[in-house]
Amino acid sequence: MSTLVAVLWKDLVSEWRSRDRLVAMGVFALLVVIVLYLAAPPGSGPEARAHVPGLLWVAWSFAGVLGLNRAFAIELENEALSGLALAPVDRGFVFLGKALASFVLLLAVQLASALAFALAFDLDLRPVAGRLALVAALGAAGLCTLGTLFSAIAVRTQYREVMLPLLLLPLLVPVLLGAVRATNALLLEGTLPWPALQLLLVTDGVFAIVSFLTFEVVLDE
Amino acid sequence: MNALLRARGLTKRFGPVSALAPLDLELGPGQALAVLGPNGAGKSTLLRLLAGLARPSGGVIEIGAEAGNRAQRRRAIGLVGHATFLYPTLTTRENLLLTARLYGLDAPAERAARMLADEELLAVADRRVGALSRGLAQRAAIARALLHDPKLVLLDEPWTGLDARAAERLSRRLEALRSAGRALVIVSHDLARVAGLAARALVLVRGRADWLGGEALRDEAALGPAYTASVARLEGAA
Repeated sequence: MSTLVAVLWKDLVSEWRSRDRLVAMGVFALLVVIVLYLAAPPGSGPEARAHVPGLLWVAWSFAGVLGLNRAFAIELENEALSGLALAPVDRGFVFLGKALASFVLLLAVQLASALAFALAFDLDLRPVAGRLALVAALGAAGLCTLGTLFSAIAVRTQYREVMLPLLLLPLLVPVLLGAVRATNALLLEGTLPWPALQLLLVTDGVFAIVSFLTFEVVLDE
Repeated sequence: MNALLRARGLTKRFGPVSALAPLDLELGPGQALAVLGPNGAGKSTLLRLLAGLARPSGGVIEIGAEAGNRAQRRRAIGLVGHATFLYPTLTTRENLLLTARLYGLDAPAERAARMLADEELLAVADRRVGALSRGLAQRAAIARALLHDPKLVLLDEPWTGLDARAAERLSRRLEALRSAGRALVIVSHDLARVAGLAARALVLVRGRADWLGGEALRDEAALGPAYTASVARLEGAA
């Protein structure tokens, strides 16, 4: 557990001082809101509003990938990744620390962009705020667990910026499916469907376990 | 002798290129091995293999006398590499604290403070590593590698970037470590410094190895010609 805390602390302190991931993710999510606002301004009809949940996840998932692409870039400076690989720890907890740091950053971006979406599309999120936060967190957990694993793999490849989305996005389909369905039902009907939630919980669990167990090998050269 | 490091038939290939021909080596407590050779000889590759940062193409490496899992074997190793392995956005003290926590050391703050004092880094302890000069960053890297008191210390050009005083202090520290029963593998081009420290030298040229020992390691005057002859032999054989 101390390994998890140490890696989480290191990543969050580094991010607080450089703010390169948070700024990139936040600006991207905000740009998506602006583009969508221009494409479907308020008063453009219920069919335009029906796309809002999906569009929310377009912003969150691509902002997440953007942040995950940088998650291991900080480990390349001074070959810090080699220092991490030398540490006599269960590398699964290194994975958890890195994934948790990305999760915290994505949650912050989700919160800010959800508020921007609500303002832009004149949505009252207050009645569903708690349940929307749960769905957002479950989706972010799936994105960050598998994304951290693939970010560690992609960082050593020549085309790492392209490699991560190519590897990650196809495998994220179940997470995005569950998250979009749950968000859709929440925002349009005010209900939270159990099958969508179940899909999120199962995929999150599978991704977390697989990533935790395989990180030992991934961190090797 | 209970060897701290034993390698048998160690090889490394990068595609069709052989970076290290089959190599056997053994190092016990209190022994120092110098690894010498021209640029591109395979010295750093050997060090990365011994540290477990690269997988050998063939052969076996055993670290420590007792069997243990991979994490326990990593605990026995301290590596000063070409790069510092330090996070530039963290301060020197924070980097050492992080290392202490990852290695599960008791009283990490006190341990880090002691190491900072030993390396005369207290004045820059709270400065970010990214703002340090090459020499100060190298001293911080040495502090990081030795913080957990490893049994096997692997050093790749450890005197690089150090001023005369820091270089002398490092030489004294390595001598003290050797006397305290630690095993050292030192990759260096500085023949004067390794001559006084190591009893054996491994000369590498394009992955092929030759051994020097005894009188050749007496001082720089003896090591220089022996090393030159060894390199010529290996280049002739290649």
